[in-house]
Amino acid sequence: MQTPDDEQFEAYLKRFHPIAPESVPALRVGYASRRSVSLGSWLAAVAAIAVVCAVILHFRGNRVVVPNAAHDVAFAERHAPAGPLTMRSANAWLATAPSFKAAVDGLAFRSQTSPLPQGKQSAVAVLSKEKIRL
Amino acid sequence: MGKTNRNIAEIEVLYRRHGAALLLFASAISGDRGRAQDALHHVFLKAIENGSLSRAINKKAYLFACVRNAVLNDAKRQDRNISLDIESSWFNAPERDYAGEQNLRRALGDLPADQREVIVLHVWGDFTFSEIGELLGISSNTAASRYRYALAKLRGSMSAKENSCADSR
Repeated sequence: MQTPDDEQFEAYLKRFHPIAPESVPALRVGYASRRSVSLGSWLAAVAAIAVVCAVILHFRGNRVVVPNAAHDVAFAERHAPAGPLTMRSANAWLATAPSFKAAVDGLAFRSQTSPLPQGKQSAVAVLSKEKIRL
Repeated sequence: MGKTNRNIAEIEVLYRRHGAALLLFASAISGDRGRAQDALHHVFLKAIENGSLSRAINKKAYLFACVRNAVLNDAKRQDRNISLDIESSWFNAPERDYAGEQNLRRALGDLPADQREVIVLHVWGDFTFSEIGELLGISSNTAASRYRYALAKLRGSMSAKENSCADSR
């Protein structure tokens, strides 16, 4: 049976805290090295994923999309504005064309069916006949 | 986190929590701070190696028992009588009471080894008398009576030293 004196003395003793020991080398080195190995493997995995993503994005960015050129040209020839090309007809054609490329193709490949007015001739035809000395 | 890493983390927590009391206990048995430290490291390294700590039900009691065995085995190997090295500090002096710390250390050194064990286990290891009985292989009544004797001797020894210090001043 402990007396109050004993308890008081015990409390006095408990005020003295034992000094902590030095850390165990295996806990300090082993755990740290295991942690660094695990961190290293994580970093390597992240780096590998980043490289793969970069390669994929690079190839996707450089990939040449080859459109169905024959189809677009056929469409352009069918639907390109007839008659002389004006800003209005070009705008209308750009608005209705399935793609920008199809619109440009349509303007480039449209047939020159409109006849030239009387007395006028094509500049290209005239230039092709002349012998120009440079 | 793998099982091994979890074990190491758990051992690290136990070392931080009980390391100081274990070192004091080992010092109180071995009498040598360096040997006590070695015994403590030996026990924890073995615990990491063989994972025996994870199977123990009362981990704290298991650690104290292991440290005691390690110190006693070491003493047996050295085949020497243990004399207590009380020159190196065992405690952090509260409120810079260095004289009190030295006084306590010397008073502990004057105790018989079996009483010293019990007092360290109860006061700084926070073990009950039945736990101490299990750990040391004695009955809880024996542990309690050893404690009472130890406490009385310690108090007498410390007050005598305090008085002698006061008289010499």
